[in-house]
Amino acid sequence: MKNRTYAQSIIDSRRHLGDEAGAISRPRVDAEEGGCGVTGFVCNIPVSGRHIFEPSVQMHNRGNGKGGGLAAVGLTPAKLGVDQRTLDEDFLLQVALLDETVLAEMEERFIRPHFRVAHEAFIDTVDDYRDIPGLEMKPPAVKRYFVRVRPDALARFRKERNLLMLPEDKAEEEFIYQNTYRLNLALYSSLGEKRAFVLSHGRDMMILKIVGYAEQVAQYYKLDNFDAHIWIAHQRYPTKGRVWHPGGAHPFIGLDEALVHNGDFANYYSVTEYLKQRNIYPLFLTDTEVSVQIFDLLNRVYGYPLEYIIEALAPTAEMDFDHLPEEKQRIYRRIQAAHIHGSPDGPWFFIIARTDVKNRQYQLIGITDTAMLRPQVFAIQKGEVEIGLICSEKQAIDATLESLAKEDPRFGTIADHYWNARGGSYTDGGAFIFTVRESANGRKNLICSDKFDRQIDVPRDQRPCDLTKKLPLAKLESAFQAGLRKELRKGDVEGLFSSLAKGLPKWDYSYTGSVLNRLRDLSKDDALKGNVIRLLTLFLDRYYPTGKKRRRSILQMATETLHSLFNTVPLLNDNAAGRYGRINFERRQHLRPPFPVEEVLIADAGNFPPEGDDSYAHLVTEAYRMGWKKFICFGLRGQRFLGCGLGPETEGIRIDAYDSTGDYLASGIDGLEIYVHGNAQDQLGQIMKRGKLVVYGDVGQTFMYGAKGGEVYVLGNAAGRPLINAVGRPRVIINGTALDFLAESFMAGDPYNGGGFVIVNGLTFDDRGRVIPQDTPYPGSNLFSLASGGAIFIRDPYRKIVPEQLNGGQILPFDERDWELILPYLKENERLFGISINRHLLTVDGKRRKPGDVYRTIGAVKLSVLASSSLSMNEEWVTGKSIEGMPDILFHHSTNYNKI
Amino acid sequence: MTGFHFPEIKNAPSRFRNALGKYRITITRACTNCGLCVEICPYGVYQVGSKRPKASCEHLCLGPSCSKNDFYCAERCPEKAIHIRLNPSFEVLGDRRWPAELLAGTWHMAETGAIPHQGLNYKTGDSGGGFDKIRFILPKENGNDKPVTDGDISTAIELNRSGDSRPKVTIPVPLYLGGMSFGSVSIVTMLSRARAAVALGTFCCTGEGGYPEELMDYDDNVITQVATGLFGVREDTIKRVRIVEFKYAQGAKPGLGGHLLGDKVTPRVAQMREAVAGSALFSPFPFHSVYSVEDHKKHVDWIKEINRKALVSVKVSTPTDVDMVAVGSYYAGAHIVQLDGSYGGTGAAPDIAKKNIAMPIEYALPKVHKFLLAEGIRDKITIIASGGIRSAYDMAKIIAMGADGVCLGTADLVALECIRCHHCESGRGCARGIATTDDELTDLMELEWGTQRIINMYSAWRAQLVNILKRLGMRSVAELVGRFDVLAHMDYIRQEEIEGELD
Repeated sequence: MKNRTYAQSIIDSRRHLGDEAGAISRPRVDAEEGGCGVTGFVCNIPVSGRHIFEPSVQMHNRGNGKGGGLAAVGLTPAKLGVDQRTLDEDFLLQVALLDETVLAEMEERFIRPHFRVAHEAFIDTVDDYRDIPGLEMKPPAVKRYFVRVRPDALARFRKERNLLMLPEDKAEEEFIYQNTYRLNLALYSSLGEKRAFVLSHGRDMMILKIVGYAEQVAQYYKLDNFDAHIWIAHQRYPTKGRVWHPGGAHPFIGLDEALVHNGDFANYYSVTEYLKQRNIYPLFLTDTEVSVQIFDLLNRVYGYPLEYIIEALAPTAEMDFDHLPEEKQRIYRRIQAAHIHGSPDGPWFFIIARTDVKNRQYQLIGITDTAMLRPQVFAIQKGEVEIGLICSEKQAIDATLESLAKEDPRFGTIADHYWNARGGSYTDGGAFIFTVRESANGRKNLICSDKFDRQIDVPRDQRPCDLTKKLPLAKLESAFQAGLRKELRKGDVEGLFSSLAKGLPKWDYSYTGSVLNRLRDLSKDDALKGNVIRLLTLFLDRYYPTGKKRRRSILQMATETLHSLFNTVPLLNDNAAGRYGRINFERRQHLRPPFPVEEVLIADAGNFPPEGDDSYAHLVTEAYRMGWKKFICFGLRGQRFLGCGLGPETEGIRIDAYDSTGDYLASGIDGLEIYVHGNAQDQLGQIMKRGKLVVYGDVGQTFMYGAKGGEVYVLGNAAGRPLINAVGRPRVIINGTALDFLAESFMAGDPYNGGGFVIVNGLTFDDRGRVIPQDTPYPGSNLFSLASGGAIFIRDPYRKIVPEQLNGGQILPFDERDWELILPYLKENERLFGISINRHLLTVDGKRRKPGDVYRTIGAVKLSVLASSSLSMNEEWVTGKSIEGMPDILFHHSTNYNKI
Repeated sequence: MTGFHFPEIKNAPSRFRNALGKYRITITRACTNCGLCVEICPYGVYQVGSKRPKASCEHLCLGPSCSKNDFYCAERCPEKAIHIRLNPSFEVLGDRRWPAELLAGTWHMAETGAIPHQGLNYKTGDSGGGFDKIRFILPKENGNDKPVTDGDISTAIELNRSGDSRPKVTIPVPLYLGGMSFGSVSIVTMLSRARAAVALGTFCCTGEGGYPEELMDYDDNVITQVATGLFGVREDTIKRVRIVEFKYAQGAKPGLGGHLLGDKVTPRVAQMREAVAGSALFSPFPFHSVYSVEDHKKHVDWIKEINRKALVSVKVSTPTDVDMVAVGSYYAGAHIVQLDGSYGGTGAAPDIAKKNIAMPIEYALPKVHKFLLAEGIRDKITIIASGGIRSAYDMAKIIAMGADGVCLGTADLVALECIRCHHCESGRGCARGIATTDDELTDLMELEWGTQRIINMYSAWRAQLVNILKRLGMRSVAELVGRFDVLAHMDYIRQEEIEGELD
């Protein structure tokens, strides 16, 4: 009740803002916004602004240099010339002066009469903006003030605005908000010539934005020496050209929060109407501004907890809603009823950084829309230092970690976990929150939780490798060393790997490092090199027990060993050096056809742009044209289109890709094989025709859209919309699951007669490298929707898939014919990933089962049925009538397992 | 554009026994078979018959307006046995956008390569708005002081104006033939269009249905389409062409994607799209991998990576923010933006969508043209208008409103004797054997004939365009782009108010 009164009084106090805005006639401009690249990270120690530089550069191609911005939260008082208390308690007001002559007027009207200013200064910049390569427009001068509202001014405000019942701190916050609004109205939105606007006014946070790329902000405002716990950045891609001032760039502010956004709303108008009803009037006319206005409304005005704010923004729908506990359903239903008009509709992804003043903590929040239409990746790394990251692309996360690790080896180059959020879901709510909070011992800790406050953590009992000191070398027994060489010569790499993996849990880091070093030394022998590479690669590809060691440290060490091995391979020159030749960006002009002894081209992707005339993908195509057949591609930093452009009939070509591969990998391949040793990004294997794609990790959005064929093995999960519109004969195994919309409009013929299918195993690995089932093999509400051909075989021993998830497909008994069809693929899956048919796939709760008890078939429904209501079909299934050949036993199972 | 020779016009008469014409001629029993009518009619309406002459080409007849001529057969017939009256079929033929006269006029051009002499309105329809209300303001004939001859006038346009390192592609006529997939039209229709495109030095788009092997001989003149279903899109088809087109939406059915109903999915269609015969095929809307402009750029970059010489065209419909879409496409690296207005679409596009969602092309084009001018990038991108271009006059008008050229679909079908019955979607049964995949119906049309019909029609169009340019004193079609001053809307300007003549 109290909250409600507060809320109403704040809303009422803003009524005059609307009158003031209305008094000025402005042309109504609809939100113009393209897509963008967003990135952010939060760390339990303050880190320099230069580390937001790398991921920003990595996502250049997501912006067009017409708007870049960043925000920092959790600052360091010494760098700002204030003490800790001022930083904690004062509002940090930053005003961008587009026209510097406005300063006196601005201060006269909006600063001096209202505020006690504890500190003020212009933000330091480089002397000449033209010294920053590519920066075309002078960024605004920015003046920073640490302010508190003067008691007399506040008293007057409370009286005039009828806010006497509001607690003092809330009234002061509202004062700041309204003062900023009026400044922006007077000096920005009402004018043809924009003169000044407020960049940020929250506590312990600041925002800077320019016409240019985000990393140029860091350069121009000299953020190299500026530390913060949270950094977020945004590359903007406005489609309207000739942008001459940065007002429209992200981040946008609420009060103590900064928001960057990728996507756009279909219902911008409706959302602004919703806000108008609550006396909130956008001034910058972008959908990002209204996003954060909604957040501020729900947070500060209505006083909602974060979970409800997320629910209001991205409502839980369909089957996910049914999975919620009854109590949550009751509350969510009310939230949806009240705020559905303020819920952004369309593709969007928000990253929010905020100071949570009340709870004395900093938060980094990522929220995706219900349909997950924008790319998003989350990651966490914990150890001596702790960091959480949210980005549009995984490769930007890796770039951040690399940048941090280079400076401070307490950071690792690989995160403990990478994952995607499932929008509007009952599983994670489509949002993750990283919180930095001081614990009792005075140390700051990072906690990651989802919308429902379920924590995501790293294995506590496994310690990452301390790389701040050089690892001492351990002595390897000579018998062991000789054994290594012998086994490598023999060529049983798989067997050697198993025996090493068996020893690994007992080894310490220095012993492990010494083994890896030894392997690298052995690889100097050309005859052993291939096997050493395969062996080291298995440490990246497989899951295995690591004892007290953290998996990511092993991955980092194996990766570094591989890099160092690759880098010792001689660069291509006029003579053949051996079976391996290396090429890199600097020497790309020296690419030439292979000599007969040369078998493998090791191509270093470092410094190659992600696309365009000088692309890395083109280097590979050119090399292929010259006669190279085997490629090791490493050092990738999101370079796109790898494997594209080789054309038809490329059997016998093999590409092994390491590190952060980019979008569209293997799209359109027709015969060749690509192995991705790690997670892959978005849009893999579009229109893939033939050939083989193996991903030792997760794949991103719209995987194999419109594919025609090919054999594909994915060790982990697929994000949203995999295999949409696939035709022909794609044959795919996903060992994890997919977020949603798997195989929508699948048209891949008759699976028993040359058509295509997908096998979903619904598995994952625990911290000890053991295969375990996921909670459900498929959590989404849309499976095989509107499919007219092909099939899905899903490992579902507990019968968790229900007909409500199908929108046009039907569940059929899994019979002998199905098993015969998928067995060869499961065998290859076992060979590639070590996921055993007998020990893992067919064993349930320790008991060996028949394939028909473990797998289920989902088939297409004939068109005539599809044309009629899908509801009646589902009912048919539920009542158990009239599906031919369906043994009763299935129904019994289903009931039994449901009870369990 | 030097060294290009326009194709020869050859007569390609109707493939049906009775071509549809405006007039119907009856010869009564009073006829003595004297043969005078056969002899005097300069249009060859009559043929000698055993009992009496046959009016086998009555569609060439001038009708009663011939009465002022001394060869007016009805008057000259000694027995007054010839009766000429309006063909009753003509009254029910066509619709307001494609009235019977425009259909018959187009058939005439496709048959003869010449402007209809019968007094048919072959320039505009009867929709009561848009093109049909817009006229050129032409100076009085010979009224301008810098006479130009036909040969001096260039109708060529450049498709790559970006200044990038990709090849220049010039087409001698400001038009190419838009996407109609195999499946929605027959293979003969498809090949007729492709071969006509080769003869005219221009392009023909595959549509979204794969790249039939038969088209491979014409690779240099084919635009292959990458549409939202990605049907039949393969690296090798992208690699073999000079232009790749992204179809984001069709003006006739924006937001609806494509659909090919089960009946049309014959084994051959299914094979080409690698789908299931007899099952309806859906192209989603939008591209599932493209939900923003930076996704779009990535998509364009992908195609550019596969084919490093091809130009990229982006086909979009005309929503209210079409100007943003165009500028976004430019910044994403497209060479051509094709704006598809709301009038296009075959009978298979749902009626509810066809005229109710997108903006008419006459509104969209000026908006985009002016916006790109203000951005300073108008001369870096080629704008192609489509969706309701029916005649040479529509083409010239839309160029004057800011397009560089046009893209055609329905007009080609009319050239092949489509009667606009709007039943394209109903199974394989196109009565004219055009929009069909049925083997027997496909055989209704011969390839040579189809090719020539399309060549003839566009040759006639080009002649009309040259004539308009000549009268406006222009030497090149590029000079016409964005010349709103040479257009008049009849609701606002009357003949008396202008100097010159409204055409």
